[in-house]
Amino acid sequence: MQDVVLKSPVAFAQASKKPVNGQVNGMEIALSFADASVEAAHSETLGICDVSNLSRFGVKGPHAADWLTASNITLPAGTNRWTKLDSGSLVMRLGNTEFLLEDQPENGLCQTLSEANVNESGVHKVIRNDAAFIVSGELTPALFSEVCAIDLNGDALEDNRLVMTVIAGVSATMLKQELNGQSVYRIWCDGTYGPYMWKTLLGIIEELGGGPVGFNFYYKIN
Amino acid sequence: MSEFTYGGEYRDMPDPDTCTDKEWAAYVHYRNGAPGLKKEWWYHGPSGTWFIAERDTMTDKISRTYIAGQEEAK
Amino acid sequence: MTGRIAKKRGEWINRDKPLTFEYEGQVVNGYEGDTISSALWAAGIRVLGRSFKYHRARGLLSFANHDVNALMTDGEDTNIRADVWPVSQGMALSAVNTDGGVVKDRNKYIDKLSPFLPVGFYYKTFYKPKSLFPFWEDKIRKAAGLGKVNFNYPRILKPKRYAHCDVLIVGAGASGLSAAVAAAKQGLNVILVDENKQAGGSLTYDFAGDQTTADTLNNLLDEVTSNANIRLITGAYAGGYYTDHLVPIVGVDGITKVRAKTVIVASGVFEQPPVFRYNDLPGVMLGSATQRLINRYAVKPFQKGVVVTANDHGYRTALDMAAVGIEVVAVIDMRRDGAKRDLAEKVTEKGIAVHKGSCIYEVVPASNKMAVKEVVVCHYNEDTAEADPRSAVRLSCDGVAMSAGWAPAAALLYQAGTKMRFDYDVQQFVPDQLPEGVFAAGKVNGVFDLKARLLDGQRAAVEASNYLGNASELITVTNPEMASPSHPYPIVNHPKGKNFVDFDEDIQVKDFINAAKEGFDNIELMKRFTTVGMGPSQGKHSNMNAIRILARIRQLPVEKIGTTTARPFFHPTPIGHLGGRSFHPHRYTAMHQWHVDNGGVMMEAGVWMRPAYYVPAGSHLSASDAVQEEAMAVRQSVGMIDGSTLGKIEVFGQDAAAFLERFYTGKFAGQKVGGSRIAMLLDEAGVMVDDGVAVRMAEDKFYVSTNSSNAATVYREMQRNIQLWGMQVTLVNLTGAMAAMTVAGPASRSVVETLIDIDVSAQGLPDGAYKEGQVAGIDARVMRVSFVSDLAFEIHVPYKAGMHVWQALMAAGKQVGIRAFGTDAQRLLRLEMGHHLVSHDTDGLTNPFEAHSESLVAMDKDFFIGQRSLKIIEKKPLNKKLVTFVLDNGFTGELPKECNLVIENGDIKGRVTSISHSNYLNRIIGFAFVSPEQSKSGSRFQVRTDSGAMVPATVTQAPFFHLLESKGA
Repeated sequence: MQDVVLKSPVAFAQASKKPVNGQVNGMEIALSFADASVEAAHSETLGICDVSNLSRFGVKGPHAADWLTASNITLPAGTNRWTKLDSGSLVMRLGNTEFLLEDQPENGLCQTLSEANVNESGVHKVIRNDAAFIVSGELTPALFSEVCAIDLNGDALEDNRLVMTVIAGVSATMLKQELNGQSVYRIWCDGTYGPYMWKTLLGIIEELGGGPVGFNFYYKIN
Repeated sequence: MSEFTYGGEYRDMPDPDTCTDKEWAAYVHYRNGAPGLKKEWWYHGPSGTWFIAERDTMTDKISRTYIAGQEEAK
Repeated sequence: MTGRIAKKRGEWINRDKPLTFEYEGQVVNGYEGDTISSALWAAGIRVLGRSFKYHRARGLLSFANHDVNALMTDGEDTNIRADVWPVSQGMALSAVNTDGGVVKDRNKYIDKLSPFLPVGFYYKTFYKPKSLFPFWEDKIRKAAGLGKVNFNYPRILKPKRYAHCDVLIVGAGASGLSAAVAAAKQGLNVILVDENKQAGGSLTYDFAGDQTTADTLNNLLDEVTSNANIRLITGAYAGGYYTDHLVPIVGVDGITKVRAKTVIVASGVFEQPPVFRYNDLPGVMLGSATQRLINRYAVKPFQKGVVVTANDHGYRTALDMAAVGIEVVAVIDMRRDGAKRDLAEKVTEKGIAVHKGSCIYEVVPASNKMAVKEVVVCHYNEDTAEADPRSAVRLSCDGVAMSAGWAPAAALLYQAGTKMRFDYDVQQFVPDQLPEGVFAAGKVNGVFDLKARLLDGQRAAVEASNYLGNASELITVTNPEMASPSHPYPIVNHPKGKNFVDFDEDIQVKDFINAAKEGFDNIELMKRFTTVGMGPSQGKHSNMNAIRILARIRQLPVEKIGTTTARPFFHPTPIGHLGGRSFHPHRYTAMHQWHVDNGGVMMEAGVWMRPAYYVPAGSHLSASDAVQEEAMAVRQSVGMIDGSTLGKIEVFGQDAAAFLERFYTGKFAGQKVGGSRIAMLLDEAGVMVDDGVAVRMAEDKFYVSTNSSNAATVYREMQRNIQLWGMQVTLVNLTGAMAAMTVAGPASRSVVETLIDIDVSAQGLPDGAYKEGQVAGIDARVMRVSFVSDLAFEIHVPYKAGMHVWQALMAAGKQVGIRAFGTDAQRLLRLEMGHHLVSHDTDGLTNPFEAHSESLVAMDKDFFIGQRSLKIIEKKPLNKKLVTFVLDNGFTGELPKECNLVIENGDIKGRVTSISHSNYLNRIIGFAFVSPEQSKSGSRFQVRTDSGAMVPATVTQAPFFHLLESKGA
């Protein structure tokens, strides 16, 4: 692609909050919604951040695991598990034979993989359009109790497990990870549901006393 | 909102090349309503997985679930 | 004079926070922590409501939300349960169901008419003369009923939450608290719920003048509140039991849906009234009501009272009253042998007389009929339920505390499928066979002794824990010898009646006798004919007596009578709670913002938001004009539509072509790379489900599109059949990952050519061909299609580039007047082209033969879904055919609508499925089902409009453009 500026799928839903926007990975994204101290408070109490613009790569098929391993990528052990590479990239195993990788802003692993040629059968690239969010804070149990019917307080997300479930009526993938020393939740859903997911979750988050957090809070981009 | 979609009773399809019209019509249109263990198709939306559940229609208890073709697998 | 007692230990009121409110226009004092009724009673107000049918004055009965004597409205909300609803500063309340106030109620005369209004009267009277029935219906509806609906009730969101636990314990009385502590000790995660404002159950009021009960309570509460594994929820009730231990907990601010691994029901029992004449007067109340008043709210139930009891409970009540200085004239014990000596002595020591084998024959009202003046006490024969009036003694008093026994609050147990049995020792239904994972403890389980109850809670907790996989030692509970807590027949017959069984519905003993005489002598029929248990209390204070009365009428043991079904909800639940916050997901395309900014009128198409048409800023186009203009632009120049909502599925693998051959009706094995074919899907019955397009991108890779509304279904069915057929196929659902747009019209090629890097000439990209290239610098999948126009290009790009490509095409087409068109114009354009829409022009029964789609069906294949059924169908004559039609030239008049019927000789032959005026053709065209005989081109048929007019139509060939040649014909 040429230098085309794209927008996060969630962009138009965020417009009313008048964020300061910036570009990451060729995509315009909300960098901040308020002062750093306000955002920090949101992040501690209950906050949501749009990170749809992080680079991702999807691949599936009976030989997808072999192909990734051959590319020197460490895979998570079991079904519905994830792992983090030294670079910080997430490698998620969705079910048995589908993988989703996500890079931190500085990495190029996903870009490299999507440009790689695949000549084997049983390995199929998946074009992705994810809306992705970081949700954090003390009150996350209260938020999830309203939008998710499964028990997330037990061991559902322990031991590098991820879940594929329904959140606020939309199919979503979820896991829990450490980011900048904070325990946060990660949510991915189909990008076309992104604006709805942002608006619905943010509405409940604000009712509970939290608020939006910009991309800059987690990934200091200048 | 539910994560699961019901996919109807699991029934073996008669061989379309050898069965009679009547047998075929019964397969398409009739369903078994007698109480007892029923095999049912269920679909988990978020992960896109089809599986079969064996459910006792009297007690509504599910005795086991498996991917079609993997009944014997643990 | 105030009925308030000096400060009591553990009282629920806060004397530091006095408040005032209004009731029926009168200012009343109370405290924070009072309920509406406790404050009113403390202020000496006795009439809290008027009964549903006879409009009799009523006061407190259970004071536990087991009756609805005191239902009030505050002007905004109605049917407020005054007995349990907290009073707050400034409330302005009045009783429901009165005409002119609760005291002066103009409908109180109905009570005098009661002999003419026995149960079931409305089945027998007022229906002749028929013309007067509406008059009576209106009168009766106005007189009988509860609160009035406030249609301006504000919208308050009450979110629903989920919660999970190892053990859900319903009821935080002695056994519930004990069970919670024991379960937490086992390491289990506990949710403990109680409908009262504070936990403790009867430990908060049933003292019998003894303070050690309060000590036991405090110790238990300390253990519970200090335990991190126990979540205590008060002021919320368990609404019902649903499969797999799902129990909605209904609180003031919303519902919490608890999914528990096990459930312990420790919900206690409802006190039952003895039945005697005028037992419903204000001032006559259940024994436990007097105890709650005294020990929770520090309110005297009356100044001078009589206790009538058919069990030991009356003695405990008398002791609680004596402890706060209420004069108790006597304890009237309906049992021939009375109570054990030590219990009786506790009472007589206080100077209270005890009359064994006696009953209250009737209560004598004060002159205003709204208070108690005295009671008539007689000898009582337990066997015949008859009093001996010759032995009558009058005792003056201003109130009566009555006790006869208990009925289990077992609704949740019944709903879970518990089999109950009648236990003659406690004269109560108790659980006999509990379903897996469900346990019962305490009084609901027939255990009444306090020590035994505490142990029973522990027993249940251990059983629950073992069910979850632990192996703790079981606990055995033995019930000590005691008098039956419930009396088998606490009924006093009276020739003049008004001895009430169900206070919600004003049902007296003779109503049961009459119902049985009329043949309604089975518990289900008895319930429906008398309406016993059908009021808002749902039989909490009446069902057990009703069963006992019916058993005696039928001369059968109680367990042969059976019980009626207790259904959720345990208490009536506000609809706002049930609504809660519901989720309505929407999907947005990559170009959504553009549509909104350019006047798109957005509508829901399933979960997608799509523009139906555009009204650009500044223009004043009507909807129909906008649609016709958009369609005209496509016919004359070029238009573009956002088709991102199309289902898009990549089908890969060595079996991909073979899979599509089995799945769809067409042939794909030999399809060339770069070609597209129609992908029509049938169900097993041969009914049309979807028609999309399959493009072959490579030997083992297809890109399949489906109708927007069928995307999820087709993807799901593909997955199911791959599994069933065991084929080597991988699917990728790209519906949300790819944006798609169609550029259509005679100038479409010229517009696309300026942005695309491949040859899209007539030879380079013929109709039905597919190529990959770059559009506006973006990798794109391009195919020539002809759905809305002979010349059209469908362009698919990754979602995030959708807006960029769309805007580039709009800019490139500006000088030829490119127009964005919406779904309404699309529907008209495809109609002009003669293309039917599956699920719009076809229905749940339409097969391909009826919809001129035979050419898409390759019957010579080995197998495809629906083939076998089509083989049967093709042997039979067709019932109907889908045809394209046109109305007469220059037609004016009422336009037929979709679904208007095609009628011939008074018979239905079909119906219209699509119809529209086309500016381009200047004719009205459409699709319709007609009989096969009517289906030839040129054939005429009639459509009946909504108003009954018959409109002639002509079957014509598709596409409709030939009409332009014959314009004027």
